Amino acid sequence: MKSSTKKLLTILLALAMVFSMAACGGGSSSEEESTEGGGAGDGTSITLFNSKNEIQENLEDLAKVYEEQTGVHVEVYYSQDTVSAHLATKYASKAPYTLNMVDAKDIYSLGKQYGADMTGSKWVDDTDYAISVDDKVLGFPTCIEARGILYNTAAIKKALGEDFDPASVKTLDDFKAMCDKLVAAGMEAPTAVLKPDWSLAAHYLQQVYEEREDPEAFVQDLYAGKVDLMKDEKFNALMDTFDALKEYNMFKSAPLSAEDELVHQAMSEGQDAFQFGGCWEWNDLQTYDYNGPVGIMPVPQNLKDDYTGKLVGGGSKYFYVDGSEYTSEADQEAAKAFLDWLATSDEGKEFVSGTCGMVSPFKSNTVECTNDIGKVVKEYVDAGNLVPNYDYDPDDHYSKLGIEMQKYLADQCTREELAKAIQDYWANVTPVEH
Amino acid sequence: MPPPTGGISEQLPVSYLQGDNMKRNTLSYKVRQYLMFGGVGTFLFAAVVIVPFIYGIYLTFTSWDGVSPEKPFVGLANYAAAFGDHEYWLAMGRTVIYSVFSVVLINILAFVLAYLVTSGVKGQNFFRAGFFVPNLIGGIVLGYVWKFVFNRAFVAIGTAITGHPTNSLLATPSGAMFCLIFASVWQYAGYMMLIYVAGFMSVSDSLKEAAMIDGCTPSQAMRNVTIPLMRSSFVQCIFLSITRCFVIYDVNLSLTKGEPFGQSVMAAMHVYNTAFTYKNYGMGQAEALILFVVCAVVGVTQVWVGKKGEVEA
Repeated sequence: MKSSTKKLLTILLALAMVFSMAACGGGSSSEEESTEGGGAGDGTSITLFNSKNEIQENLEDLAKVYEEQTGVHVEVYYSQDTVSAHLATKYASKAPYTLNMVDAKDIYSLGKQYGADMTGSKWVDDTDYAISVDDKVLGFPTCIEARGILYNTAAIKKALGEDFDPASVKTLDDFKAMCDKLVAAGMEAPTAVLKPDWSLAAHYLQQVYEEREDPEAFVQDLYAGKVDLMKDEKFNALMDTFDALKEYNMFKSAPLSAEDELVHQAMSEGQDAFQFGGCWEWNDLQTYDYNGPVGIMPVPQNLKDDYTGKLVGGGSKYFYVDGSEYTSEADQEAAKAFLDWLATSDEGKEFVSGTCGMVSPFKSNTVECTNDIGKVVKEYVDAGNLVPNYDYDPDDHYSKLGIEMQKYLADQCTREELAKAIQDYWANVTPVEH
Repeated sequence: MPPPTGGISEQLPVSYLQGDNMKRNTLSYKVRQYLMFGGVGTFLFAAVVIVPFIYGIYLTFTSWDGVSPEKPFVGLANYAAAFGDHEYWLAMGRTVIYSVFSVVLINILAFVLAYLVTSGVKGQNFFRAGFFVPNLIGGIVLGYVWKFVFNRAFVAIGTAITGHPTNSLLATPSGAMFCLIFASVWQYAGYMMLIYVAGFMSVSDSLKEAAMIDGCTPSQAMRNVTIPLMRSSFVQCIFLSITRCFVIYDVNLSLTKGEPFGQSVMAAMHVYNTAFTYKNYGMGQAEALILFVVCAVVGVTQVWVGKKGEVEA
C-alpha cells in the first residue's frame, strides 16, 4: 500500500472515531442553551425555562435588566425538546428549573404535581387567564393567543383596488364571494393551508369542540361514542369552510408538499389573501419581505350562533414556579417576585407588548402591541369576543387526528370517513382526568 | 551512595521484577491489573450503558408517565400492551422493509465504490474522501438537507417541466420510504466503503496473481479468491448496517417526521412518541426493549452465520 493511501485511511478512520464520539456526547450540550454560565455571587440566582423560541434573546436581555434592578440573577434556558419530556429529565436528575414556561395543559399535570401556590400574588387579580387547580393559583399566563383567518389587507387592496373590511366577510358565502372576486381580479389562489398536524387538528379541528356552550359535555359524549359528527351543525359548518380553504388553496394540487415557510412567505408578501392561523405567526411573517398589515378575523361559517364574530383563544405559555423539595423557599419567593415584576412593572409590560409583540393577558397593561395580528386580537379580547380554549385533549390527539385531517386535506378520505375516524379515536382513547 | 529514589523498580514488589508466576496467578493481582487497565472504561460503560439498561428494564414494569415521582408497579401489563399495539407492529414491519432495502443497497454500493477506489483509478484518494464525507454530516442535518432537495429542488424542477405544482416525493407513503432509504444509503455507503477498502487491501496480490496464472478470469478471481477472503468485511459491514438501520431515528425525524399520514414512522420513532409525546413511559420502554431484542437477534444470527464460513489464506 502506498504510504499516502495509508495516511489518508488513518486520517479518515480517526475522523470517523472522533465524529462517532462527538455524536455520542454531543446531545446534552447542544440542546440546551443558556445565558452566561455563573450565577450571581452575592445574590439569589434562579433558573427560568423558556419554551417560546422567538423570545429567547429578549428574555435574556430582560433578565439582565432585572438583575440590575434587584440583584437577583435569572438564568434563561431554552430547549427544542417536547416541553414535558425536557422537564421530565430535569426532575429525574433532581435539578428542576425554578420557573417553567409550559403549555396550558401541562399546568394540569406538571403544575399540579410540582407547582407552588401563587394565590395572593399581585398579578392574580389583574387577569382573567390565570390557571387554578384545586383552589391554588398555579399558572401565570405569559400572553394571549387567538386563532382565526389571517388576511393580508395590502394584497386584497392591490387586487381589488379597495380597502378590505373584515366585518364584511361573516359567512362562508361572503368568503367564497370574496375569493371569487380576488380570482377574477387576477389573484391566482387566494388561500394557503398549513399542513402540520398541530395546525390542522389542535387548531382547526379543535374549534369543533370549543365553539359550543359546553365543550366538556361534548367531549364526554365523544368519549362515550354518543356523537354523530355528520349530523353535527358545527362540525359541518367548519368543514364546509375548510373545503373552501382547500378549494382556493395555492398548493391545491400538492397540499402536503406545502412547507410552512412557503405558506408564511405567501401571506407575508401578499401572494395570497387568506390563511388559517394565529397571532404567533407574526414572527414567521417577519422573516420575509413583509407587505401588510396582516390582520385576523373569525373563521367565516354558514351558521349563525353565539360564536359568530368571535375568535377562539385564551391564555398561552404559562409559567409555574417549582414548589418541589429541590427548590428552596427563598428561590420560590424570588421566582414569584420575578413574575410580579413581569406583570406589573413598566419594563415587564413593555417587554410583553412592545419588545415581543405579544398580547398581554393583564388588564393594567396598556402598552400598544407591536404585532399587527396581536393588535386585532387585543380588540377582540377587550370587547370580550374570545371563545375560550379547550385544554384537556389527550396527548396524542393532535398527532393521531392530525393524520386524519391531512388525509382529508389531500383528498385521501371523504368527510364521512374523517368523521368516523374522529369518533373512533375518541371512543377508544383513555379519557383525560382533570 | 544515596539510595535511589523515584525509580519504578523501587516501588514495585520484588515478585513483579522476578516474574513470580505464583503471585501473578492470585485473584487480587488479576483484579488490580484489570482495574488499572479496564477500570475507568468499565466504570463508564456501566454508568452510561449497563445501569440505565437495567433501570430501563425495571421501568417496563411500571406505568410511569415520565414525570411523576410515583412509579406504580404494573407487572407485565406494558408488554401485553406493546404486543397488542397495532401501530407499533406496523412501524416494526416498515422498519424491516426499510432495513432490508437499505442494508442490501448500502453494501452493494459500498462494495462497488471500494472496488473502484482500490483499482488504481487516478485520484482515488480524493474519491475515497469524497464518498466518506456524507457520513460526517450528522443525521439531523442530513435529513434537513435532503428534505429541502426533495421538497423544494425536485418540486421546482417538476413544476418547471410540467407547468403546474407537482407533489413532492415526501408527500406519498411509498415516496417517503424511498427518500428514507435513499438518504440512508447515501449516508452509510461511504462509511462501509472504508471497511471494504480495508478488506480489499488485506487480500494479497500474490493470491490473485496465482489464480490468474492458474487460468482464472478477473471476475472468477474476484468471485473465488478475493470475496471469500473478504468475508469478515462483509460480516462487519452487514452487522453495522443492520443494527444502524433498525434503530434509525434522526433521519426519520428530520426528513419525514413520520409524514405523510404517519406512514413513515419507524419503530424507534414510535417508541419515542409512546414514551415522551403520549407520556406512556413504561410502555415505550417495553417497546424499546422488544426492538432491542429483535435487533440483537437479527444482528447476532447474521454474525454467527457469517463467521461460520470464514476462510483464511
